[in-house]
Amino acid sequence: MISRALSIKSSITEFISSKQLLILFLLCIFTFVSVFIAIGIGSYDLSIIDFILGKNTGLQNIVLLEIRVPRVVLSAFVGASLGTAGAALQGLFRNPLADPGLIGVSAGAALGATTIIVIGANFFPNLYLGSFLLPVAAISGACFVIFMLYVLTKGFGYQGVTYMLLVGIAVNAIAGVGIGILTYISSDAELRSLTFWTMGSFGGVTWPLLIPAMIIITISLIFLIPNARKLDLLQLGEPEAYRLGIDVQRVKLSIIFTSASAVGASVALSGMIGFVGLVVPHLVRLIGGVNHKYLLPGSALMGACLMIIADLFSRILLQPAEIPVGLITSAIGSPFFLWLIFRMKRL
Amino acid sequence: MSINLKSVSLKLDDRQILKDVSLEINEGEIVSVIGPNGAGKSTLLNVITGDISPDSGDTIYDNKQLNKISIQERAFTRSVMSQMQTLVFNFNVKDVIEMGWLQRGNSDFSSNFLMAFEAVTKECNVQNLVHRKFNSLSGGEQRRVHFARTLLQLWRPSQSNDPRYLLLDEPTANLDLSSEMLLMNILKARASSNVGILVILHDLNLASHFADKIAIIKDGEVKAFGKPEEIMKDDFLTSIYEVPIRVNYEPLRVHYY
Repeated sequence: MISRALSIKSSITEFISSKQLLILFLLCIFTFVSVFIAIGIGSYDLSIIDFILGKNTGLQNIVLLEIRVPRVVLSAFVGASLGTAGAALQGLFRNPLADPGLIGVSAGAALGATTIIVIGANFFPNLYLGSFLLPVAAISGACFVIFMLYVLTKGFGYQGVTYMLLVGIAVNAIAGVGIGILTYISSDAELRSLTFWTMGSFGGVTWPLLIPAMIIITISLIFLIPNARKLDLLQLGEPEAYRLGIDVQRVKLSIIFTSASAVGASVALSGMIGFVGLVVPHLVRLIGGVNHKYLLPGSALMGACLMIIADLFSRILLQPAEIPVGLITSAIGSPFFLWLIFRMKRL
Repeated sequence: MSINLKSVSLKLDDRQILKDVSLEINEGEIVSVIGPNGAGKSTLLNVITGDISPDSGDTIYDNKQLNKISIQERAFTRSVMSQMQTLVFNFNVKDVIEMGWLQRGNSDFSSNFLMAFEAVTKECNVQNLVHRKFNSLSGGEQRRVHFARTLLQLWRPSQSNDPRYLLLDEPTANLDLSSEMLLMNILKARASSNVGILVILHDLNLASHFADKIAIIKDGEVKAFGKPEEIMKDDFLTSIYEVPIRVNYEPLRVHYY
């Protein structure tokens, strides 16, 4: 009898072609290049080279380190988390139209945040934790939805993915009602911050807010990406994946939980940024293939890259004013979405 | 070594799907399950694979209860070819076949995998499909690709003598004559290298010719289980299928039109 030590894991170079490795490498380079460009350009021009050479003034250093760099880092992390979560969820649901928003986590996070914006201001007007309250509420909202999904799908064996999708739709609707009511009762000033927040923005982020989100997103992605091979096998259908040795229920939970916390952390800091989780994985599939070993890291890099560029445009198009970045991603994403639907009809 | 099904019963939505089913699949043996539509054949297969746990009765793999065997270890022991699967995302044929490859602790991926992959694709005559997109293949070609994947899952280095079982649900559906013969002959060859095989078939002649044993199932019950020449009888088959059936012996042929 030969070794019984079985594993579904595989090493880095297995189940991925050399062309795909090359694409990942190029995406890496693009991401770094876009980081440097985005840090340099803005309503206040800065040069990284000057910073490294120590030629910057104190003010320039403050703008660079306290405003520009956190913003670019945040957009990269949010892009990576939304892109990867989108790819993982599309794979899990075997639905090319799935999006992190689909399972209701974005909506849960949004409801948590709006609650704080509208109601919280009345109850804790002078709370010194004010700036922390918003992200904490959004993450709690996301976690609440994850918990609900977990409880509601527990007894459904490994055939419950459709059910989970329907739960997501219901959760979205419920959160929509909640946000609607809160919007209706909000004051003018609250409405303004609400509107801006629901369209998404990377402005105003500071390191103390950013670092916890970076940690959450990094950990989520570290747990998410090794599921690639299992996601491939899931494409054959859940019974078939089980027959190939996958504990379907466990994989499902782990993917949902990791992608949900990545999305929750992102929504908390940047608001609802639509279509990234939908568009990015499709672009990555178009250029290199559909196997998740390539798709997940590819979506992380492509998501980061595109988000940095989208945020750059949001800053410079109407300089010195800013367009919400969610508006830009939606403007690019929605026609793409229509094109996708059109293309799917032919498949 | 064998798979043993001991008085398995199963009710789904108040309908008795399987009634006291007992069956044995020995190593090196082809057992063919035949019977009318809705007899419970696919459900029986799902019980054997472990997809569905029966209400009562035992599924035993090599003297070990199935529910005591880990999901990964099950995949290592038995591989299943089910009826049609569709893929939402357009994988390469190569990727689809590779999905059958299970990593083993000390296996050397690059050498063993390539050897196994090449052997299996050649055997199933799909080597000129491997660079195509799966969704561009015809139904029959897709079946052959899935069959290759199923075989890859059970691939072992030649020195291994682990018990292995192949479970197939109507593998010949959609296949043309030559592919059907190719598949059945591969099964025959696998059986002679000690793989235990259970195959659901509709073609009584195919079953009679290739199977060592036939199980005839109707209304969730095993009506007969034994060697083809012993159980393929005119009156019996006529009562099972409710059409006039005549059986000739030497060679065993079933006539129904």
